[in-house]
Amino acid sequence: MAMAERDQQDRRLEDFFAAARDRAPDPSEALMARILADAEAARRLAAVARPSEGLWARLGAMLGGWQGIGGLATATAAGLWIGYAGLADPAELSGGLVGAAGETVELMPEVEVFVLAAGTEG
Amino acid sequence: MAAMAFDAEDDRSDEALLALYGRGDATAARELTRRLAPMAFRVAARLLGDRAEAEDLAQEAMLRLWRMAPDWQAGTAKVSTWLYRVVANLATDRLRRRRGLPLDAVPEPADERPGALGAMIAADRAAALDRALLGLPERQRQAVVLRHLEGLGNPEIAEIMGVGVEAVESLIARGKRGLTEALAGRREELGYGDG
Repeated sequence: MAMAERDQQDRRLEDFFAAARDRAPDPSEALMARILADAEAARRLAAVARPSEGLWARLGAMLGGWQGIGGLATATAAGLWIGYAGLADPAELSGGLVGAAGETVELMPEVEVFVLAAGTEG
Repeated sequence: MAAMAFDAEDDRSDEALLALYGRGDATAARELTRRLAPMAFRVAARLLGDRAEAEDLAQEAMLRLWRMAPDWQAGTAKVSTWLYRVVANLATDRLRRRRGLPLDAVPEPADERPGALGAMIAADRAAALDRALLGLPERQRQAVVLRHLEGLGNPEIAEIMGVGVEAVESLIARGKRGLTEALAGRREELGYGDG
């Protein structure tokens, strides 16, 4: 295409381009609101996963916040204590936990009587 | 537009705002949305020729921006260049999926029925151009939209489209020839003489 012809083509097209630039389609308010809501959701998600917040923050997020960590700490302390108590005397463990001593539950009442009876009959 | 909510001016660059948002600053998102969402929607609308689909695409492109923010490397590229590229790629994907649809499922651009001769207004010219753009091959349309409607330079368009500057120049030249031919029959209707 000759240069003069191309220039003429460009001038003609520029009228159309200018008209289109002036009448650019605008996004709706609803779209802008959806985009902002996405931004906020993504920001919250990133805050949970952000490594710079340190080990405890990430652990807290993983375990369901400080309530989760509190539960975990209690369970850990109890386990530790049970371990020590068990080594000393398992009988004291249940007594110490329920705060009552000397209670005995008979799961098979009088079983020794049956054993005795069987021994005398045989 | 939500003028009340989005009209605040801010001197900070897109890149600075994105870094702030990536570090958890909630207010930076508002300014980035004000600056970038209209661009994403506008380009999507011109590449797809369908407003509803363009809204979906713009939202998806902006979502990718939000998710990418914590990993944004300062100095690598302009945020707007990155977003143009995402919009262009998403549009290409959608247009490819469209090709598998029956013709009547493809949205038609609004019919810009011409008015009386000599009484055309800018709206008719804009609509005629939009329609002619949709008739161009997809890559030519992208290049022409980015160059002549978005006002970008050829090197930035090359970066967005992942081709060399010479390829961009060629796409634009062919695109403009296509537009000239498509609009030739409309020039008389649109209030232009031969000159």
